[in-house]
Amino acid sequence: MDKQKWEGRLIDYIDGRADAAERAAIENELLHNEAVRNLYNQLTEVIGAMNEARVLEPSGKLKANFEQALQEEIASQARPTKTVFFSPVVYRVAAGFVLLMVGLAIGYKINQSNVEADRLARLEKELEENRQMMLAMMDNQLSASQRMIGVSVAYEMEKPDDEIVNVLVKTMNEDVNTNVRLAALDALGKFSNEEQVRNELIGSLKTQKDPVVQIALIQLLVTMKEKGVLNQLEKITRDAGTLKAVKDEAHAGILKLS
Amino acid sequence: MPKPDKSIDLMSDEKIMEAVKSGNLQQASLLFDRFHKRIFNFLVRMTGDRDVAEDLTQNVFLRLLKYRHSYNPEMKFQSWIYQMARNAFADHYQKQKQLKPANMEVEKLHESLPDLTEALEQEETEKRLIRALAQLPDDYRELLVLTRFQHLKYEEVAGFLNMTVANVKVKVHRAIGQLRENYFELENA
Repeated sequence: MDKQKWEGRLIDYIDGRADAAERAAIENELLHNEAVRNLYNQLTEVIGAMNEARVLEPSGKLKANFEQALQEEIASQARPTKTVFFSPVVYRVAAGFVLLMVGLAIGYKINQSNVEADRLARLEKELEENRQMMLAMMDNQLSASQRMIGVSVAYEMEKPDDEIVNVLVKTMNEDVNTNVRLAALDALGKFSNEEQVRNELIGSLKTQKDPVVQIALIQLLVTMKEKGVLNQLEKITRDAGTLKAVKDEAHAGILKLS
Repeated sequence: MPKPDKSIDLMSDEKIMEAVKSGNLQQASLLFDRFHKRIFNFLVRMTGDRDVAEDLTQNVFLRLLKYRHSYNPEMKFQSWIYQMARNAFADHYQKQKQLKPANMEVEKLHESLPDLTEALEQEETEKRLIRALAQLPDDYRELLVLTRFQHLKYEEVAGFLNMTVANVKVKVHRAIGQLRENYFELENA
């Protein structure tokens, strides 16, 4: 008896999805074939148990918590700003013009004062805040997309500091999500003229187990003309546990580097 | 106290979500009433843990508020909210994977099931069913929870799992076959 085939037919029969001819054929088999009958009885019991499984009730605090969150969200919605309408239109234009002139005058005044130092301080503060936000995003274990955004922001930097490099290396080697690891590798590739980054990339080739990242890493190291990885590439080509596609890439890398 | 507007009760889920999207947030309460039990039951069957399922259900409805602007009115609301529930479960699963020691298999959800079964004083049959279900791979368990416990149609499930209806049916059949084996092995254990 082809059990899997019979299971499919019997499930359709139990679900009421079999047509008249199929029903008759199955009922005939049930009368004469004990193995099919046993299978039918077991399937009926399991499907029946699922149909009769009780619907579970959540606790009341679920509703209360949601209502509280909803009210907070409603309260935090942009509060309507009071709008003053000038009518007719000409007054509105005039008011706009006056506001523009006032703005220009204020701008001129501000320009006169020594604001350059303040502006620089503010920029520095913003940069530091952005940097902290980026590190926090890369460390967000709950959301791969947040980590991805963090890594993309790092990619845009001209010169990362040691802490950012370390986080990127950790992400490349340990993140659970392949896409995030690849993005981290991309970012590190951009900074590969830094000696620390170069060493980390070489080191990662020894430990990296994700084939997709392995291939991208080999391609990057070959582009960097990093001959120091030749031994490691040879090891990869001999490693029985490594995927063929990775071995092929390692072979290609050896040819290009040697 | 104002009487509840009956015309709202008759509105489709999609219309209500459109209202939420355009700023009428209070309507989200109605969607919560319509769906929270289903989402909770989906998550409790997937995680095997009532407390976690409540937290994740809460999380799903917070996502609904947070991502309301991304709702596409052409998409069935039910598909959208189940998709968010699946994402919430996947995030939880990833987190658990990171928190647990390497030698502990997260797939063995049934290890945490006795709490659920004892708390509910379920009958022996249902206890066995839950254990058999927990031994299934995640994708099989998910398909059975959706189609058999939640009674969603194959067409509906195919919509948000991005599978063909025929493929859903084949996989559901295989999942029931495997569940049957687990279930009767537990009987003889």
